[in-house]
Amino acid sequence: MASRLYQWLDGRLKLKSLGHTLLDEPIPGGASWIYVFGSATLFLFLLQAVTGMFLALYYAPTPDHAYDSIQYIEHEVWFGWFVRGLHHWGASAVMVAIGLHLLQVYLYGAYKSPREVMWMVGVILFLIMLTFAFTGYLLPWDQTAYWATQVGINMMGTLPSIGGFLVRILRAGETLGALTLSRFFAIHVLFLPALMLMGVAVHLFILRRVGPAGPWNTEQTQNRSEPFWPRQVYMDAVVIVSLFLLLAALAYFLPFPLADKADPADHSFVPVPEWYFLFFYQLLKYVTGPLEPVATWILPTLFILALLFLPFLDRRSERRPTKRPLVMVAGIGFLIIVFGLLGISLKNLYAIPKSDPSVVQGQKLFVQHHCAACHRIHGEGGKVGPDLSYVGNRRPDRAWHLRHFTDPQSVSPGSIMPKLHLSDQDKNNLASYMLSLKKG
Amino acid sequence: MSTPVGTRRSFVKWVTGLSSAFIGLSLAIPLIGYVISPALTRRKASWMPVEKVENLPVNEPKDLDYAVTTQDGYLETRQTKAVWALKHPDQTVTVFSPICPHLGCGYHWDSQDRRFKCPCHGSVYDMNGKVLGGPAPRPLDVLPSKIENGELLVIYKEFKSGLSTKVEL
Repeated sequence: MASRLYQWLDGRLKLKSLGHTLLDEPIPGGASWIYVFGSATLFLFLLQAVTGMFLALYYAPTPDHAYDSIQYIEHEVWFGWFVRGLHHWGASAVMVAIGLHLLQVYLYGAYKSPREVMWMVGVILFLIMLTFAFTGYLLPWDQTAYWATQVGINMMGTLPSIGGFLVRILRAGETLGALTLSRFFAIHVLFLPALMLMGVAVHLFILRRVGPAGPWNTEQTQNRSEPFWPRQVYMDAVVIVSLFLLLAALAYFLPFPLADKADPADHSFVPVPEWYFLFFYQLLKYVTGPLEPVATWILPTLFILALLFLPFLDRRSERRPTKRPLVMVAGIGFLIIVFGLLGISLKNLYAIPKSDPSVVQGQKLFVQHHCAACHRIHGEGGKVGPDLSYVGNRRPDRAWHLRHFTDPQSVSPGSIMPKLHLSDQDKNNLASYMLSLKKG
Repeated sequence: MSTPVGTRRSFVKWVTGLSSAFIGLSLAIPLIGYVISPALTRRKASWMPVEKVENLPVNEPKDLDYAVTTQDGYLETRQTKAVWALKHPDQTVTVFSPICPHLGCGYHWDSQDRRFKCPCHGSVYDMNGKVLGGPAPRPLDVLPSKIENGELLVIYKEFKSGLSTKVEL
């Protein structure tokens, strides 16, 4: 039945020759696992497109409802957590896939003539993807989204002369609010996908016109060539299905809950960007004062220009990495700097003590029961009892604290501290607070 | 699809086909659920306090307005609803939906004639909701109600109009 339908359609639409064009593209040097990143990126982009379309079924792009609508997707809609999880982790995965794809092309010198335009379109696609990430980040309208976007937009403000104007355009006015959200939403779901699809079409069109570059060693290329179907398709399929399983597992095991709803009045919130912007976030910490514009826009602009025009900066036809030491050193140097900054940033982030709810509760109890009348913490409070600034180091045993609260004299003979009449839960919370008081 | 026996080429085809089918199905099933979910989840109706029973006259239907919070997806809105309540001599209360079962107009109580009358198409009901005349296909719709601590509680519901049986919306 299916084959008869195919014959019927083929008679009219010439499907056989189309299939031949699509699948029998020769790959110089044969299929390889190193060529999977382009297909993986395309798959992940399509997955983002599909999950994004479905998220838009319930999402409301207004400050009044954005947060609630995502909570609704997360908690009420069947598989809502799964669709949002795929979209969230897919965004990270697509960045990794683009990074690897770019590195492979860089290593293989595949950007060189005659593939300069394909490379440049690829760099533009990468920039579009970063814009997707930036605009998408605001949409949940939680504290992280709001304050991270605030910082991102302010960075544009450091551009000379046009900075202030650009910031107002991005915000659609003076403040980050309803108009900003609807414009970020429209850019994210309408403008960028249209640009992206055109870009991908051009990228693939050029690929088919000039063909894949193949191995850097041209002798291998001359000896052997194999069509795209079936082995390269098979390799792509294996990688793609593994990626899908990985994303599904991440969506299932690592749900990504929202922070509190965005509160423009809460200036105490410290936003942290997505991990793929962290290296840049860390860089900004080092470059301050009059040099700040160097980090906020001069370096990024130079980097993007260098990346875009790489085929014209490195014009020799030589593709073997060993014969391109300067390019290799530049690439490795860049990776060391980016991953170094990322590493430092992650280390600093995890050094920030996470505010455990039990500790927060314990701290409240400490205040409620006027413990500070006798005990001092970092210079605040009385001097009757012992200083508790680093009690977590001195007394790391939770059980000791629990006994001490119930009957101070039982563990500390001669103590004048009164017995605390607290519930077990409260004693536990207060002990958590005590244990959190540590050096460093 | 052929089983993975024989040549390397057929194995490769088999893996490729299976991968596509796997991804397609693992996406399609959750996504279908995602789309149809609001159609299959009923709104949770809750008991709303309406009026103190002692304030209701016996054998004289009273129009009661009360505020309800309705949940429309992620949107929570406060709306004013109205019901007709009739206290019987034995202190029990019957609560009617304020919507005429004929075509959905709002009817009123004519205290002179002691009848409910619908101004749209002339349906007439007695005090207990029984149809006395006009095109109405069924009696007035009774809403679930109960009395707790002297307070009348109601679950607001709507029913399809024009049918001879009561079908909840």
